[in-house]
Amino acid sequence: MISVTPKNLSVPLSQQRVKLDLNNLSPEQVALEIKNLDLYYGDKQALQNISMSIPKGQVTAFIGPSGCGKSTLLRCINRMNDLVDICKITGQINLNGENIYDRHTDVAALRRKVGMVFQRPNPFPKSIYENVVYGLRITGENNRRVLDEAAENALRSAALWNEVKDRLHESALGLSGGQQQRLVIARAIAIEPEVLLLDEPTSALDPISTLTIEELINDLKKQFTVVIVTHNMQQAARVSDQTAFMYMGDLIEYSDTNTLFTTPMKKKTEDYITGRYG
Amino acid sequence: MDNLNIGRHISGQFNEDLERIINHVMHMGGLVEKQLAEALTSVCDADEALAKKVLSNDYLINNAEVSIDDECTRIIAKRQPAAGDLRLVMAIVKTITDLERIGDEAGKIANVTLESLSGKHKDLLSNLDNLGRHVLTFLQATLDAFTRMDVDAAIKVHKSDDKIDREYEALMRQLMTYMMEDPRSIPQIMSVIWSARALERIGDRCQNICEYIIYFVKGKSVRHTTPEDLESLS
Repeated sequence: MISVTPKNLSVPLSQQRVKLDLNNLSPEQVALEIKNLDLYYGDKQALQNISMSIPKGQVTAFIGPSGCGKSTLLRCINRMNDLVDICKITGQINLNGENIYDRHTDVAALRRKVGMVFQRPNPFPKSIYENVVYGLRITGENNRRVLDEAAENALRSAALWNEVKDRLHESALGLSGGQQQRLVIARAIAIEPEVLLLDEPTSALDPISTLTIEELINDLKKQFTVVIVTHNMQQAARVSDQTAFMYMGDLIEYSDTNTLFTTPMKKKTEDYITGRYG
Repeated sequence: MDNLNIGRHISGQFNEDLERIINHVMHMGGLVEKQLAEALTSVCDADEALAKKVLSNDYLINNAEVSIDDECTRIIAKRQPAAGDLRLVMAIVKTITDLERIGDEAGKIANVTLESLSGKHKDLLSNLDNLGRHVLTFLQATLDAFTRMDVDAAIKVHKSDDKIDREYEALMRQLMTYMMEDPRSIPQIMSVIWSARALERIGDRCQNICEYIIYFVKGKSVRHTTPEDLESLS
């Protein structure tokens, strides 16, 4: 039976949804602030003057056609683009008020704060347990009790614990695709990052595993700020609080997901999300 | 149809699906309009055969509502429409509910024809006919605005419902005077009142449809707003 508490009834439905004013977030609401970001691959400009604030404890989705720069923007957030030789970046990305592109930034420390999960699950050819505690081990943590506890917490948070608790020391490669992806998420959150970047995390998974991951994303935002790139618009609509639509390196529209998917302001956004010719 | 912009989906099948339901809504609108016109004619000409035809044809409108409703559900399930497409489907689902109710109101009016009215009150019917013709024009203007998804026309039609309300109130006052003068005529006058009420309700339902048109085009819900708010949208 459905139970309705009086509290739910006394507040109008329209006010039960918290809608942030993305242009006027207070400093404590902001997890990441991107300011006038330009990115070039050689001579080609891939991102043009991107400015946006990503709120804390929420899920922000980047959508747009292939090559629009959404993955590039995501990779900027933990400086993965540093690995591309011809890549040049100007502008700022502030994490906790500090520019991550500052000369003095410790990139390894940054990537501990900003974890990332990729399109295809990429567990290490080690046991499930060793995969999860890998990040802690390389930071020098060797206390068995601490590691056990962290592994259990991370696996529980990634909704994988019940499925793997009896086979923690078996190879991670024996898990299914959906389980491997959750394992990779567990590995990313074991070191307790502040921000979790997900680059098309479900595009290689079946619909049921996809739903499990989406449910997981919803749980994760209680602890982390989640930024997700997805090709699946319905997925962005389902999991995110904010959605940014990008097109050819420009940020076309950035607003709360409910508004973007019902009444987008820009025609380009409307054409894209309704599947029309551009 | 320019505002609909439905022919530009990458999926040709989705274009066809949306075009098909829009055509069905227009066809349903045509049916409702015909039912109302015939109901009014039957009252005016005391044409019982026509009134019976109106009543027996109501099922056509009901069937149209059910089938369009099913089609909309199917589109939502299969296509997950967003933005303008979603608003269009929602506007259609609501519009057909109102159209079906307008069909029911036409049936109520046709019922009046089947109740014998003494010769003395025939002049009442001409007043009713007047209100009826205005409401019919109002319905036609609404359907026209829907076909073109024309916000300006919808706002104009929405505002003119006031005229119908005023006409309805005037008719009511007149009918009450008749009842006070001759209480024996109350049963007959009551049936005229029911049909006047039905016409007034049709005006309100047309107003609803205008609101759905505005919702589809502007993405803004204008139910329960002031005329000034409405004006600011045009």
